[in-house]
Amino acid sequence: MKIVVAYKWARNPQDAEVREDGTVDFGRSRAAVSEYDPVAFEVARRLADATGGEVIGLSVGDTSIGTSLARKAALSRGLDRLVLVADDALADADSTRLAAVLAAAVRTIEDVDLVIAGESSTDLAEGQVPLTLAAGLGWTGLAGICDVGVADEVVTVRRDLPDRRQTLLLDGPAVLSVTADAVVPRIPGMKEILAAAKKPVQVLDHASLDVTPVGAAGEASFEVLSTSRPADGTRRRVLIDGADPDTAAAGLVAALRTIGAM
Amino acid sequence: MVTPTNDPDFDVIVVGAGPAGATAAHRLASGGLSVVLIERAEVPGAKNLSGGVLYASVLEELFPGFADEAPIERRITRHVTTFLTADSAVSLDYSSHTLGHPVNGVTVLRARFDPWLVGKAEEAGALLMPGIRVDSLLTQAGPDGRRQVAGVRAGDEELRAPVVVAADGVNSFLARDAGLRRTPAPHHLAVGVKAVIRLDPGRIEDRFGVRPGEGAAHAIVGDCTQGIGGGGFLYTNQGSVSLGVVLRLDALQASGRSTSDVFEHCVRHPGLEPYLRDGEIIEYGAHLVAEGGYGMLGEIAGDGLVVAGEAAGLTINNGFTVRGMDLAVGSGIAAADGVAEAIGNGDVSAAGLAGYRRRLEESFVLKDLRTYARAPKWLERDRLYGAYGELSADVLRRVFSVGTSPHRPLRALARAALSDSRVRVRDLVSDGWSGVRAL
Ligand SMILES: Cc1cc2nc3c(=O)[nH]c(=O)nc-3n(C[C@H](O)[C@H](O)[C@H](O)COP(=O)(O)OP(=O)(O)OC[C@H]3O[C@@H](n4cnc5c(N)ncnc54)[C@H](O)[C@@H]3O)c2cc1C
Repeated sequence: MKIVVAYKWARNPQDAEVREDGTVDFGRSRAAVSEYDPVAFEVARRLADATGGEVIGLSVGDTSIGTSLARKAALSRGLDRLVLVADDALADADSTRLAAVLAAAVRTIEDVDLVIAGESSTDLAEGQVPLTLAAGLGWTGLAGICDVGVADEVVTVRRDLPDRRQTLLLDGPAVLSVTADAVVPRIPGMKEILAAAKKPVQVLDHASLDVTPVGAAGEASFEVLSTSRPADGTRRRVLIDGADPDTAAAGLVAALRTIGAM
Repeated sequence: MVTPTNDPDFDVIVVGAGPAGATAAHRLASGGLSVVLIERAEVPGAKNLSGGVLYASVLEELFPGFADEAPIERRITRHVTTFLTADSAVSLDYSSHTLGHPVNGVTVLRARFDPWLVGKAEEAGALLMPGIRVDSLLTQAGPDGRRQVAGVRAGDEELRAPVVVAADGVNSFLARDAGLRRTPAPHHLAVGVKAVIRLDPGRIEDRFGVRPGEGAAHAIVGDCTQGIGGGGFLYTNQGSVSLGVVLRLDALQASGRSTSDVFEHCVRHPGLEPYLRDGEIIEYGAHLVAEGGYGMLGEIAGDGLVVAGEAAGLTINNGFTVRGMDLAVGSGIAAADGVAEAIGNGDVSAAGLAGYRRRLEESFVLKDLRTYARAPKWLERDRLYGAYGELSADVLRRVFSVGTSPHRPLRALARAALSDSRVRVRDLVSDGWSGVRAL
């Protein structure tokens, strides 16, 4: 079984700052494998091990995704090899465009059975890349997958929906986005990083890829009308001092009672 | 997973990707050895808050054109030393554009600088292993039956190499693990607290009186540490300033104050406020600094092991500046050359690695450390942190307060101020003379 994992080398929001006007400044943050993606690597690795298959990491972005740090960060997490489209022309690409380039890159890899991705990215967080990628490939796209199993070369997936839990049998190639808690991903150790440094990396030429814009009207099928700070929601801003565990626990219980959660 | 064989995985394992480790890895790999550079942070520099003024000539020698290529913040062209009292500031200001060319001191932020230096090591062929914390040294019996270092252990994994370079910073427990270094005494340690405060580049240039690309380094003594032995610093980065205090651990403990209290006091000090106004603290942290100078240096080579950088106690704290990064780079070079020589000769015992110490003695690192050998003792004289600032401020107050009584010559004003102050002439002469000898 040949599995491609689409992942993102993205700015880590931990070091990002929310400015007064609500916009986010990623200037001081460092890039890392987007937090949702190691789960996808792990799901793919287990599936490939169960079927004697191969796991190929695939990422699209500016040239920083091709640094040795970025390559090893991905390759040490259960991948066999890497395919990259690293071009600074993609630095500010929106997620629709990224999905179109991902689709073009998947088409250059022969006989892919499955594409797996995380459910969102830490920087853009639009959560639509896997399904737009499926559309670009003309494949089935399934989101919210929390378990993937295989028996006799037949893949079954499970998704937990608000009112039902479903198990589906896949027939034909598909793109899956897996939930953040589908499995616990490995933390790479020394041997995995050592091995990662020796694994093959193929860098595709962006210009010569056959990128078909996604959507009937081509790339500009929507336009951003406005962007503003997200609503604060219904946060109650209750702060409980954790210095003394007993008092803290009592405070927590009282707070939960007040809002009727207990 | 445990290595099934005892075959070495690399020629050299370098632990710690700070200035010392990255330089050593670069040099070893450039010499054709197989090198792995292990760093506990996911991205080099991410955990290294210190930074500050880097005296760059050693890097300029290593990488000609260094200051144009590396992500430095500003070239320091202005050095200011300030004695603070509770309500005044007396400064000695030295500024010259010639300090910028050829490059002398530059400011760096480690989160940007470390990845660059590590990149140099990687380009030379060293393998960076980020996100791995080394837990202990791996030892085995050598040909003569003595235990010798044979690699490192992280979690349940082992990595083997005939030589390990411990460049794991001030807390180096690898050096301690090997019995090369004792736990430093509190009077040999200081705690550094530092904040990075965001300020517009234009404002920095106006307030600090520097041109774009150029910067100022302020050393602050006196009330910024509330009289606790140590000092403060204020450095300009490109779009931020770094403000910090370095406090001698024993003096801090004796004062009963907390580091954060002292730092708060410093941030709000009226003598510093004009520089910091409207700034926003974007990073804050504390870190130990070894400050015993030459006295801190212990054994730096064992069987299969060398210790470099701050792990070996290589810092100079003369009260006005903390220096460690350039010494770390210098020791990284000496360590790499000593290790390469030992591997070439097929003898990586402590005796075989003695070339490291010899090179270090010959280099600027130990020469400078010896020059400043008396500084730590001199800095333990408490008058430096309180009474002297008060005295000089008092002299200047008398000079600058224009009243109705006729002005007396400066000499007389100084004598009057001295006789009113807590400082005795004998102390002043003694401290002054020891200071000259120590610095
Ligand atoms: C507040 C403050 C201000 C300072 N200001 C200046 C200044 O202005 N100029 C100057 O020259 N020096 C300054 N110094 C000193 C300077 O920071 C140090 O001397 C210098 O960083 C030493 O370099 P190093 O490579 O030896 O160690 P470090 O820079 O400490 O690097 C050690 C590296 O090893 C890693 N590491 C540690 N343990 C392990 C482990 N077990 N496994 C894997 N990795 C590990 C760490 O993450 C780190 O990256 C200052 C220090 C402080 C605290």
